[in-house]
Amino acid sequence: MAENVTLTINEQEVSVPARTLLVDAARMAGIEIPVFCSHPKLDPVGCCRMCLVEVDGPRGTAMMASCTMPVGDGMVVRTDTEQVQTVQEANLAFILLNHPLDCPICDKGGECPLQDQTMRFGPGISQLIEPKRLAKKHYDISDTIVLDQERCVLCWRCIRYLEEWEDKPQLGLFERGNDTIVDIQDGRPVDAKTGGNIIDLCPVGALTNRVSRFAYRPWEIERTPSVCMHCSMGCNLRLDTRTHQLRRIVGRENMQVNDQWICDKGRFAHGWVNDEKRLTAPLLRKNGELTPVQWSEALAFVADRLKSIREQRGPDSIGAIGSGKVSNEANYALQRFMRAVIGSNNIDHRDGGEVAAIATGVPALAELMKPQYGPDPKVDTVLLFGIDPSEELPVLDLHLKRALLRGGGKLIIAHPRKIELTKYDGPYLVCLPGEEAALISRLSRAVQDGGAADDSGPVAEAAGLLAASDSALIIYGPMAARGEGGPAVRAGLAGLAQAAGQGARLAYAGLDGNAQGCRDMGVLPDRLPGHASLDDNNLRERIETLWSCSLSSSAGYTYKQMLDSQEMRALVVMGADPADESPDWAAGLEDLDLLVVCDLFLTETAQKADVVLPAAGWAEGDGTFTNLERRVQRAPKAVTDPKSRAAPDWMILTHLAKQMDAAWPFADARSVTSEIAEIVPGYAGLTWEALGDQGIQWDAESVAVATAAPTDQVGEEEVAAGTDADGEYPLTLVSGTVLYDGGTLFRLTEQMQGMAHGATVSLNPADAVDIGVEAGAPVRVQSDVGSLELTVAVDEQVQPGSAWIPESLAGAPVGALLNGGYRQRVRLERR
Amino acid sequence: MITEVMRQEIGEILARYPEGRQRSGILPALYVIQREFGYCPVEAQDELAEILGIAPAEVGAVVGFYNMLHAEPKGEYHIEVCTNVPCMLRGGNQCLHNFENTLGIHHGEKTDDGQFALDHMECLGSCGTAPMAIVTDQKSGQIRYFENLSSAEDVGRVIQLLKAGDGFAELARWTPQADPGNEGTADTPYRTGGMEPRYLMARLNEADSHRIETYEADGGYETARRVLSEVEPADMVEEIKASGIRGRGGAGFPTGIKWGFLPQGVFPRYLVVNADESEPGTFKDRIIMEYDPHQLIEGIILSAHAIESEKAFIYIRGEYYFAYTRMEAALAEATEKGYLGDNVFGSGKKLDVVLHRGAGAYECGEETAQLSSLEGYRGQPRLKPPFPAVEGLYAKPTIVNNVESICNVTHVMRLGVEWYKGFGTDRSPGMRIFCLSGNVKRPGLYELPHATPLSVLVNEYGGGPQDEGSAIKAIVPGGLSMKLLKPDQFDTPLDFESVTEAGSLLGSAGVIAIDERTSMVEIARRTLGFYREESCGKCTPCREGTAWLEKILLRIEEGQGRGKDLELMEYIADNIAGKSFCPFGEASVWGLQSNLLKYRDEFSAQIESSNPDEVVPELPIRPAYRPDVHEPSGLRDSTFAPSGGNIVLHDDLISADD
Repeated sequence: MAENVTLTINEQEVSVPARTLLVDAARMAGIEIPVFCSHPKLDPVGCCRMCLVEVDGPRGTAMMASCTMPVGDGMVVRTDTEQVQTVQEANLAFILLNHPLDCPICDKGGECPLQDQTMRFGPGISQLIEPKRLAKKHYDISDTIVLDQERCVLCWRCIRYLEEWEDKPQLGLFERGNDTIVDIQDGRPVDAKTGGNIIDLCPVGALTNRVSRFAYRPWEIERTPSVCMHCSMGCNLRLDTRTHQLRRIVGRENMQVNDQWICDKGRFAHGWVNDEKRLTAPLLRKNGELTPVQWSEALAFVADRLKSIREQRGPDSIGAIGSGKVSNEANYALQRFMRAVIGSNNIDHRDGGEVAAIATGVPALAELMKPQYGPDPKVDTVLLFGIDPSEELPVLDLHLKRALLRGGGKLIIAHPRKIELTKYDGPYLVCLPGEEAALISRLSRAVQDGGAADDSGPVAEAAGLLAASDSALIIYGPMAARGEGGPAVRAGLAGLAQAAGQGARLAYAGLDGNAQGCRDMGVLPDRLPGHASLDDNNLRERIETLWSCSLSSSAGYTYKQMLDSQEMRALVVMGADPADESPDWAAGLEDLDLLVVCDLFLTETAQKADVVLPAAGWAEGDGTFTNLERRVQRAPKAVTDPKSRAAPDWMILTHLAKQMDAAWPFADARSVTSEIAEIVPGYAGLTWEALGDQGIQWDAESVAVATAAPTDQVGEEEVAAGTDADGEYPLTLVSGTVLYDGGTLFRLTEQMQGMAHGATVSLNPADAVDIGVEAGAPVRVQSDVGSLELTVAVDEQVQPGSAWIPESLAGAPVGALLNGGYRQRVRLERR
Repeated sequence: MITEVMRQEIGEILARYPEGRQRSGILPALYVIQREFGYCPVEAQDELAEILGIAPAEVGAVVGFYNMLHAEPKGEYHIEVCTNVPCMLRGGNQCLHNFENTLGIHHGEKTDDGQFALDHMECLGSCGTAPMAIVTDQKSGQIRYFENLSSAEDVGRVIQLLKAGDGFAELARWTPQADPGNEGTADTPYRTGGMEPRYLMARLNEADSHRIETYEADGGYETARRVLSEVEPADMVEEIKASGIRGRGGAGFPTGIKWGFLPQGVFPRYLVVNADESEPGTFKDRIIMEYDPHQLIEGIILSAHAIESEKAFIYIRGEYYFAYTRMEAALAEATEKGYLGDNVFGSGKKLDVVLHRGAGAYECGEETAQLSSLEGYRGQPRLKPPFPAVEGLYAKPTIVNNVESICNVTHVMRLGVEWYKGFGTDRSPGMRIFCLSGNVKRPGLYELPHATPLSVLVNEYGGGPQDEGSAIKAIVPGGLSMKLLKPDQFDTPLDFESVTEAGSLLGSAGVIAIDERTSMVEIARRTLGFYREESCGKCTPCREGTAWLEKILLRIEEGQGRGKDLELMEYIADNIAGKSFCPFGEASVWGLQSNLLKYRDEFSAQIESSNPDEVVPELPIRPAYRPDVHEPSGLRDSTFAPSGGNIVLHDDLISADD
């Protein structure tokens, strides 16, 4: 606890913690000091000189920069004198000297600190009759950011953000003196994944949003607080809308989640919301063609077919696939529909039953997501196991970098690729698909040996760090814990966390925006809502009473089983696209008696459906999402498309239930939330009022964490994907998520298309030489289930013996090679 | 793009800096690149970024900051003519025109064959031998001074020499007088004088004054040898405190007191020798380093001993190439003899000296900016506190001292505190090298005790007005930044207190005499031009204000002045002074402020005679408009709709089309 000091500002006594900056002390006392360079999230620099105030000192009164001066006990400060006012006026005159005053065509106009401060503190007149300095106007410094050097007031906020948060100083001051400009190095656009935050930070219109350019005037837009659904961080956003369109997204402060930063995908990739390819009417297959119909016709058709299939083949011939991309309410309604209306536990989602996720995030992860402003980290060592925050969770990446660079934290990485974060020189453990369990067991043994293994390799180094740590945290992702080996990986990691001396410091990070909520809602074949086991009689009875039904007690099919099984006759797919993952599944979906798809677009899967139901998207519906550290946050409705007949998922399901003779009490999304709060123990008492605009973290204690005891069962001999280096398929296929993929939610933002990951297979340089291919070579990648035509990229991140093909590349679904599996070996042939 | 050979050379350069601080070598590494390609191509910058492990933009930002690093090719010989005030007073502008006429190009241009590029330049530290130019030989990266270029013929001879390939036969300065045969031979140190005997300038005119033998024959290094074995560091700090040596760089801060600010027991500590002499009118450190480098090295050994530092850096001005080579050779001699290195004088103490070239930025003379530059960043000043003595280079305790200050240390330790205090006044003890330039007969360096009257320096040593018919009307007493003194102040004794009392500052003791032939408006305009050019650009008032002032002064010179421009300039100057980030901003307007105060009639006369009707394009003045700022704005920021909003009658939506 810092001691307080007392000072006087404008004759007012103010008591603030020692070391507080004067500008902040004044703000706490309700006294405004104008600033440009000073920003609460950035280190002080003192360059704009806007914040000069009078400070009494031993040698008389001096004008001091309040943004760099810490308070002192007994300090006497004045911010309202004639001298201060004169200096503020003069400084604004200096700042405005070369500012083009093109406010009428500037996106910042109307929400511009320079405009506001000129009105409040400016001289009111211009004394300049000299010509203004000219500089480069509106040119792109990335696909998403436009720079206007004439408008720039050289506050360094953008430069400091990229330096202090991203650790990627891609913008700098160039030239000198009066010619000083902010610029990129020639030919090196800003590519930091959260670079767009500099637009929010810019106090003038020097940096503007290329995607939203000229698409709004600040005074015309509606502003709705929301949360991002691109990944599981749950970053807080503000959606700016006008005339039924989403025009712009900016970051919103939430100190427990994203500080005030968001990533570029979250900020810019919203073109899909108002895309003309969005589904706007229900489609029913008639004479082989999907034909627009009325809701009543579509719903009646689905209800009839489901009823008859249930009668003929039993409830377990019907399954439903939910999604981490849609809200808690949608997922809850879907599993209620399956369990109560159909009467089966055939309910799952991608990365659901197949992935050995632990039920909850852990407090340590939440600690890491709090802003990391200085030393004294709550987490001193982080092991990332099969997760690449730079591509999957860019804002977690920011937090991690701060924890390393400012908190002195240590980072250990186990991943199939030598990911970007390995540049911080922590031990990197190569871990190709299938090698996870073996690696964990080596690591566990090394930790048990106190990290003092003779081996000086990265495993020993990692073990040493874990053993020495007071507060380690292990984060793993679905990549590492899929398939049969998943439970062993989870148990192994849990054991490792305990061996490192700290129990329960294991966290699972799902990838989809509502991955956690989707599991919380019970979209799992062997879990009731709230992660309760199917034989939890207490909960079971409560649910049966509430839903007036009796629940099946046998576990249902997992996602993969539903798609593989010949027993399935009908599937309801909500927000998922399994056809893209596997040619076999795509074929299998066509053989179903009924395929109902509820989605935003006519996906691969939807194209095979008998009925396609148009869903309201995240910006158009109201609902809650749960992020990876269990924070439940509300994303209210921000846009309405009056021409569309799309409806929220929960509403569609409510009507479908009604058609199947089940009366659900849901009048709106909020009433669904209420029922969730009644059923799911962790969500008890949760209301929209309570959620407010910062969300609430549900209590991890409400769920017994299923951490298995440490296990030694996995041996090193068990290296799954096989090692037939000389065999027919010499390379291990590595897939996973990249931020800028070819998925619909990214691809439809036209301005960003150039950033998308190319249709490439990346190889280690040595392998490329061995195989005899060079970067750019056209190849066919062949696995024993399929092939894919790609071009070669050479990348040192890719480990020898592996081939890296990200998921969701436009026109090149890696599913063609994986066919619904997780481990696959491939070979390359030149085309 | 960067070849293996270059990589090796760069690698050796980077190895001079402490482990993990290789970024410090960015300027010397860029010199290697520039020597190879004639400029710093972006591709090479990017490759250097990779070598240094930093972002490409960080290298680009550094290249853009420093004058001597070019993003575009400059020609085989890059000629830069000083047009700053001290040179201007002695025909610097004409000298530039002579080059333009001889080469047939305008400044800022390159000859068609790419052989010559011509630029005008700020003060190059050769004010006693104005007008002058420096020439950079692109192939070798060498720089040579060509001085006393008073006529078109002299300029013609320089070009001839260069064309004949003889321009770099020697690196010591070239003057027409020393080279009647035009063979490229060198000149000796420029005019020196003053009291007898002299201490700081004792050996300058001896043959081989730069060699260690000459220095040792004069008793050199005896003091350092003795002090290292006999005097405890703390005692030496006390002696220097007692001597009252005051910093010779400009601020005049007592050296011993500065040393006393070092935090106890925190190591490593660094000594940084500020040899970035750039204040217009100052050219003393250059001559010490060129002709008596061992005097400085002995001072460094002594100072490093006192502050218990094992690593010293000499941050030498980039243009001082000859001084750089002399220092380099002298350091090698001293190391060879065991006076530097792992066992200094056999005392078991270590001292490693790194000679580091700047790259053309006046701001780097400010101590925190110099540390930024030395760390491999743009030379922009840093926040104080923490002061360098507490957190300086690499955030370690660091003492930054001027070359002449450090030389004074040697003499104090050699001849004693009492001897030293026998010169000058109580609060400004010791002797001083006065750099006399401008409109006097004998410009040069004069070593005199503090408190020597200005008029004695100017008239007795300097020989009085350059032109018999033109009286001296103004004198800058301490480098171009300082306020002007009027003729009735010419008897001011040249010590810190007296000059301060006269309303100016002694600064770096660069004394510039201005006679009646030059308009004070031109002096003001050229002074502001310098500060506009050299402002680092970090803070608003200095960056914007200096440029605004220069524009106004240019307009007045061109006959578009208005009476109210004088008040406007005062307003601007008042709002730069004391409002800027570092002292540079303040210094940038002192000259103008005193000029407007003391020579206002010259400004008014210029405006009245050239623009009696004040015809200038006036912009309409907008009325002051301030809304009531305490009322709510009316702008709606993000708000939740009332929780849950209205209950959606879902059938309205889904069944509407039934």
